[in-house]
Amino acid sequence: MIVVQSLTRRYGRRRGIEDVSFSVPEGSLFGFLGPNGAGKTTTIRVMLGFLRPSAGGATIFGHDCWRRSRRVKTEVGYVPGDLRLPPWFTGAGALRIVGAVRGQDLTRPGRDLAEQFGMDMRVKVRNMSRGMRQKLGLIIALAPRARLLILDEPTTGLDPLMQEQFRRHLKALSGAGHTIFFSSHTLGEVEVLCDRVAIVRDGRLVADDTLEALRRQAGHEVMIRWKDAGAGATVQPPAFLSLRQRDGATWHGALDGPVGPLADWLAGKPIEDLAVGRPDLESLFRRYYQQKGGDG
Amino acid sequence: MNRGLVLKAVREVWPVTLGLGLALLAIEAVLAYVLPTFQQQFSQQIMQLQFAQTLIKALLGTDMGKGEPMGPEMITAIAWVHPVVLALVWAHAIVVCTRVPAGEVDRGTIDVLLGLPVSRWELFLSDTAVWLASGAVLMGAALAGNLYGASRVTGSSTPGLGRLVIALADLFCLYLAVGGLAWLMSALSDRKGRAMAAVFILVVGSFLLNYLAQFWRPAERLAFLGVLNYYRPLFVLRDGAWPLRDMAVLGGVGAALWLAAGIVFARRDLCTV
Repeated sequence: MIVVQSLTRRYGRRRGIEDVSFSVPEGSLFGFLGPNGAGKTTTIRVMLGFLRPSAGGATIFGHDCWRRSRRVKTEVGYVPGDLRLPPWFTGAGALRIVGAVRGQDLTRPGRDLAEQFGMDMRVKVRNMSRGMRQKLGLIIALAPRARLLILDEPTTGLDPLMQEQFRRHLKALSGAGHTIFFSSHTLGEVEVLCDRVAIVRDGRLVADDTLEALRRQAGHEVMIRWKDAGAGATVQPPAFLSLRQRDGATWHGALDGPVGPLADWLAGKPIEDLAVGRPDLESLFRRYYQQKGGDG
Repeated sequence: MNRGLVLKAVREVWPVTLGLGLALLAIEAVLAYVLPTFQQQFSQQIMQLQFAQTLIKALLGTDMGKGEPMGPEMITAIAWVHPVVLALVWAHAIVVCTRVPAGEVDRGTIDVLLGLPVSRWELFLSDTAVWLASGAVLMGAALAGNLYGASRVTGSSTPGLGRLVIALADLFCLYLAVGGLAWLMSALSDRKGRAMAAVFILVVGSFLLNYLAQFWRPAERLAFLGVLNYYRPLFVLRDGAWPLRDMAVLGGVGAALWLAAGIVFARRDLCTV
């Protein structure tokens, strides 16, 4: 559905994105992860035809994103990262205008979403809180029930309950066959939501795989608690165990390879506790950045 | 054109059109009433002031006989070239025509707008349609004010409606030229304030050029570059002929600048961050 091929976009001397390639299959919930300034929004702006690529390109539904931007957007719902709406918009007025632009009556789906999100559609944008404005942005993007949703940090400003509600809604849409491109720097929400993740750093793609495969590649997280601090200080770790933190009697680190050699190495050693597990996305993300020498 | 975009543009343009339209209606009514009523005193006083004479000569585009009183056409024409009238007409063109894209990029709303299934040309044409319609409303307000003011003057001979409409068409062409420039500045900029300032400077420069050309030879040679060189309602009100050449120049400049703006807007990058 989305194919980004060797996409490069520079802003004069300033870095934008460099040689980014990935594809998003139809019906998937695709997480696009990276810290602020990594190039996520630039990629999205190219996909929506706001920016012309310096090299490479992007297609959505087989249409070039720059040349056939209008065609592409007929089946896209979009929430920008820094959402701004005309101050005179009310929720109801916004739905009327967006509906007229799209040639769709959005009153009913908009009202249903407003009910679901607890949104008063009579308030003017100038009198709305940040969270309310964000909700309205989501309603405008979701109401047309577009085939593809491009969401650039969509949960900014939403309270945790609303975030949960929104995630449930996205999962339901994904279950109904809609494709969701979810850009975020919040690792937790991508972890619970997305089935596939691309990680962008300093304008370059450093990972693109399923969450499970990324976790597998990243090895295991290990916590060893020694019986006394002396053991923790004197024992030398084996080569396959990279220690991240050595805090008295407790070690935290990453295991490269299978668990067997670690169990063999620990046999007979004075340990009190041991925990081995797959890393959560946060440690995976951090490791990607540390490995590649990123500044995170 | 897109109905939704037109609705949005109308919602955003009507307050400024109403405000400036009412102001124009009022000032035209006052000028159309006051100038003929106090024609004698006004004419004598103006003749004493060299600066005012030069200014009126610059605005009307004609020489006034030394010591001669101003005729009724000249008095009526002042209502159409008065600096306040021109300022209101230009202000409307500048404010409305810098809304897209500079205004939308500046307030960050272009993302939502162009995230919808519309092309940039659709957005541009929809806003252009609203601009032209609101400009016509503004001209209507000026004409209504002028007719109302003139109707309150007793025993005065004013030009017929036909001549006023021609003068108004000429003013509309001037409005188009300034609007075209504003569209282009807006297409080249990400900041509405900067785009407005650039047009304002150019328009004031044109006004000054027209003034300086009355007594400074180098400026006289360049006078053809100023828009006011092609807006001379006195001749229209006096002769009743369509100033086709002037209107073609103003309309042509406006259309060329507008087209250039559309091409720039369609091809440029849009970045709100």
